[in-house]
Amino acid sequence: MIIDMNAYIGKWPFWPVRASSASEVAGDLDGWRIDAAAICSTRCIFVNCADGNRETAMAAEQQPGQFFPFASLGPGDAFPSEKFYGVRLYPQHHSYHPLFEPETDRIISGAMERKWPVLLPLRLIMNWGMPMQELGVINALVERHPQATWILAGINYLHELQLAVHLMKRFETVHVETSCIMGYDAIAKTVDQCGSRQLLFGSGAPVQHGGAGVAKIAHAKISDAARESIIHVNAERLLGLSNG
Amino acid sequence: MIVDAHVHIGKSTRLQINVDGAQLVRVADELGFDKICCTDLTALFYDMHEGNALLAEEMKRFPDRILGYASLHSTRFGQEATDELDRCVNDYGMRGLKIYSTPDMSIAEPSTIPILEKCVELDIPILAHTTPQECEYLLGAVPQAKLIMAHAGGQPFAKGDWNRAIMSAKRFENLYLDTATSTIDLGFVEACVAELGASKIIFGTDTPLLDPWTQWTKIRESRLPKQDLDLILGGNILRLMKVPA
Repeated sequence: MIIDMNAYIGKWPFWPVRASSASEVAGDLDGWRIDAAAICSTRCIFVNCADGNRETAMAAEQQPGQFFPFASLGPGDAFPSEKFYGVRLYPQHHSYHPLFEPETDRIISGAMERKWPVLLPLRLIMNWGMPMQELGVINALVERHPQATWILAGINYLHELQLAVHLMKRFETVHVETSCIMGYDAIAKTVDQCGSRQLLFGSGAPVQHGGAGVAKIAHAKISDAARESIIHVNAERLLGLSNG
Repeated sequence: MIVDAHVHIGKSTRLQINVDGAQLVRVADELGFDKICCTDLTALFYDMHEGNALLAEEMKRFPDRILGYASLHSTRFGQEATDELDRCVNDYGMRGLKIYSTPDMSIAEPSTIPILEKCVELDIPILAHTTPQECEYLLGAVPQAKLIMAHAGGQPFAKGDWNRAIMSAKRFENLYLDTATSTIDLGFVEACVAELGASKIIFGTDTPLLDPWTQWTKIRESRLPKQDLDLILGGNILRLMKVPA
């Protein structure tokens, strides 16, 4: 069982990708033996959150049990009425500062009321041509809302992992997904420092290669129990699929 | 025959690496790689003479597994650098050159030209950590040089823009792309082959900076025919280095 906590549906505006519809993305995930995925439409990131959230909800209806829809909300966006499992914030793509925009606190509080995890990306995918979030902002936002269930996404460099490990050690509510972790032995070193309970497999699919993402977990020098935690057990807990 | 054309050996404070040949050969064994092409970090970032000599020792320890790139920490050492390159190829048996560029210390400058000309004379490839624009400058000056763009744009100074790298490689016959990238965009390898042909694509992992399993999987699971994979996974780099398969 593999659950991907950071996948997308929708168009990619910067270069062609082979999968964008729900069925195409589902097919790619099947090919990589990824059984289920938390998804969000890229329309939420680049066009309009309400439209994108409807698209995400429809995709989840098309792929029941395989897609777990995450909403994306920015300032002024209402919580959607459809069934969602979490929320993603994309401040650097929605042109607001998450510390100084009061709506950020409303969204995070709303997510906590709904027992939704909040995914906050440092970067969308592993690429330097797109806007990034500052590490200090992520640190401050987590400190402001330590009770929220956080998924820090798009972590790559050693100093970024150091912040993530620091936060995971301080707050058991903080989790990190693996889509942009590319370093040699980085997964094993992170597990050595803070265990596996707060790590989540994420692929960045279909923009990123999901099979390559799976491989770095499958071959990481960690225990089988830690591997199981990362690839599905922790995700099941966050998605409310188990009592974990 | 699988050859990893982009591997680092030795020590670096900035990169937090301290790895010897035995460790790298063990990693290659785990992945099923027959040969690894190494560049020494001391030579690349501190002292070319000391670092290249260290690599030569590792090549002696693993003659069937480790192929060497001579490395220069700067192209601004004039005759001393070209003499070092000559020694590395003719005395140590190294088969290529590795050079490194940053935005603030770019190798796209006149001092690099005689180095490239020396590589043409020695008939060795150059693995260059560069941007597409830097490659265009260098090959504009020395079009006969066989230049391998390390990371194919998938590194911070090139903003991860592998599409731009493909455009450059289309313009220059002797520009090759190395697949070791910090990005793992789906379709990258297939797009490279579709636009350039498999003969210009060279497999590398950037071990021990990047996770080699990630780099290996994106090639192994690509939708390419076997003859293309054979070129990418070893045929091309062995041809450029004139090493029998």
